[in-house]
Amino acid sequence: MNSVSPSAAQYMGVVMQDEQVESRRPPSLERQGSFGFRGPQASDASRDTAREPDEMDKVKAKLMSAWNNVKYGWTIKTKTSFNKISPVTILGHSYLLNNEDEVERFRRDFVSRIWLTYRREFPLLEGSTWTTDCGWGCMLRSGQMLLAQGLVVHLMPRDWTWPDALQLTDVDFEVFRPRSPVRAGGVPIPSFGSLRGSSSPEKTPAGSQAPRCCQRKRPESARDRQAEPIHSKLITWFGDQPPAPFGVHQLVEIGKSSGKKAGDWYGPSIVAHILRKAVAKTPVAQSLAVYVAQDCTIYKEDVVHLCDLSLSQSPADPSDQAWKSVIILVPVRLGGEALNPSYIECVKNILKLDCCIGIIGGKPKHSLYFIGFQDEQLLYLDPHFCQPVVDVAQADFSLESFHCSSPKKMPFSRMDPSCTIGFYAKNKKDFESLCAAVGMALSSSKEKYPIFTFVEGPGQDYGLEGDSSNHSGPSAHILPPDTLSRSNNRRSSEEFVFL
Amino acid sequence: MPPLDRTAQQNKTFKQRKSFATRKMEVEGIRSKFPNKIPVIIERYEKEKNLPPLDKTKFLVPHELTMTQFITIIRNRMALLPSQAFYLLVSSSSLASMSLTMAQLYQDHQDDDGFLYMTYASQEMFGL
Repeated sequence: MNSVSPSAAQYMGVVMQDEQVESRRPPSLERQGSFGFRGPQASDASRDTAREPDEMDKVKAKLMSAWNNVKYGWTIKTKTSFNKISPVTILGHSYLLNNEDEVERFRRDFVSRIWLTYRREFPLLEGSTWTTDCGWGCMLRSGQMLLAQGLVVHLMPRDWTWPDALQLTDVDFEVFRPRSPVRAGGVPIPSFGSLRGSSSPEKTPAGSQAPRCCQRKRPESARDRQAEPIHSKLITWFGDQPPAPFGVHQLVEIGKSSGKKAGDWYGPSIVAHILRKAVAKTPVAQSLAVYVAQDCTIYKEDVVHLCDLSLSQSPADPSDQAWKSVIILVPVRLGGEALNPSYIECVKNILKLDCCIGIIGGKPKHSLYFIGFQDEQLLYLDPHFCQPVVDVAQADFSLESFHCSSPKKMPFSRMDPSCTIGFYAKNKKDFESLCAAVGMALSSSKEKYPIFTFVEGPGQDYGLEGDSSNHSGPSAHILPPDTLSRSNNRRSSEEFVFL
Repeated sequence: MPPLDRTAQQNKTFKQRKSFATRKMEVEGIRSKFPNKIPVIIERYEKEKNLPPLDKTKFLVPHELTMTQFITIIRNRMALLPSQAFYLLVSSSSLASMSLTMAQLYQDHQDDDGFLYMTYASQEMFGL
């Protein structure tokens, strides 16, 4: 089914693209039933056609995936230019690309990130006709990349890089004229985290202003080579086969409980919850938990509950085995229509943190995994490249298609405000320094209010009953939503509701 | 902040439905009756597709109510699951911080007409 000639696919493409949007959208609206505002008309129309024999759908789906395979099967090679005089940051590590050593370290760092893209010709996704995620699964792929980075820091040696990292392609290093005097001369940014390649085995406390110093060639190559089996193992968990614990099959399956199915579009918050469930479900990551913040709040006591396996014994040793490592995911919305520019500084400060494992979001409708930035541009890994499936069950499968050699950038101004920010803490001590460092990064925002907050207590037990009893006021009552008929909405909505 | 004109037709925003003078009068009226309450307008983000519309847009809230409590009330009115994404934006672009009280928020963001305007939205979906 994938042997469609490019010209044929292009011919279909014009029609297909429109259909794609139409036929993809309505099902999700339908499911959300009563509140689909624009839903009814659109879904009625498509439901009529959907009544036609299933065969029609199957053919449609096949043509659509064939088209997507072609569409995302090749990329236009454009060069990405990096500024030699201002630092580029990748997840807590900064590089000033004005000499070969730094470029080399930047290369190792970038290419070692795990890159997960659209794949085609994988086993059928259960309950659907999909054998590819081209054209719909990009947010799931970004989520996989975020989780993969979490697992890399969890399982691989500190500051591990892939010994066989490919050479960079499609990059230029130039001297850009500084745009503002503040950035002139490429003054190294004060790092919240530690520097890659630091010879000290001790973790630099997050939040400390580690001075930049010249680094030599990495002495860790032998150590990194030894870690290769774990590297391969880790990638098999993301294989496109039903049993893979973090593969697309498993994630789609888990997503069903959130009302999603194969072929749907996913959001950064839903994916955060899917990842949480996937990690909780699998025996391969028993020493790891995922916490998802609610309402932009990290309830520290809830994190402790999740991680501390021996709460009753209250262990004194922070590196105790009884403490699970944790990935903390914070779904946020940094603006309405577009990213509120006053949050940019804060996003940068977060990406400078050693404990940050990246941000899943994207441009509008187009998901990307953000791992760093330079000047006013975000550095990302793009899942929109359709590769043939790799059988990770083979002993010596190639790792090459799971790493990206061409770094890409996009301006902050195009960043979609919906995203999920990821952090990782290995142990209790790490978690405490994470709270301090992230807290500091958050308060650096120009915006008066932080994009999310930490709260000491648990998140579950703030009851409404308790609240309303505290309030003086003539009528502190809350009307249940169903007592009002929706039809005379307009009239009743003009009255005040007392809280 | 002025609401976007694109909303159009049936779904006009509160500001579009009522003149500045009317809104100002409304606030003055209600404030004189309930001086210890803050008049808040909550509206759905114009492009929101996942969250239901709220049955009410005008709320009178106590000064000391925190955003956490406020959001819980709104979430409950919509019967949302805890894992469903829900964000309240003030001035249509800033996330309202959870630890703030309504009084603080009102002080920083009250409109010229005397209301505090908030927009609620979930998250966008990605797929292309």
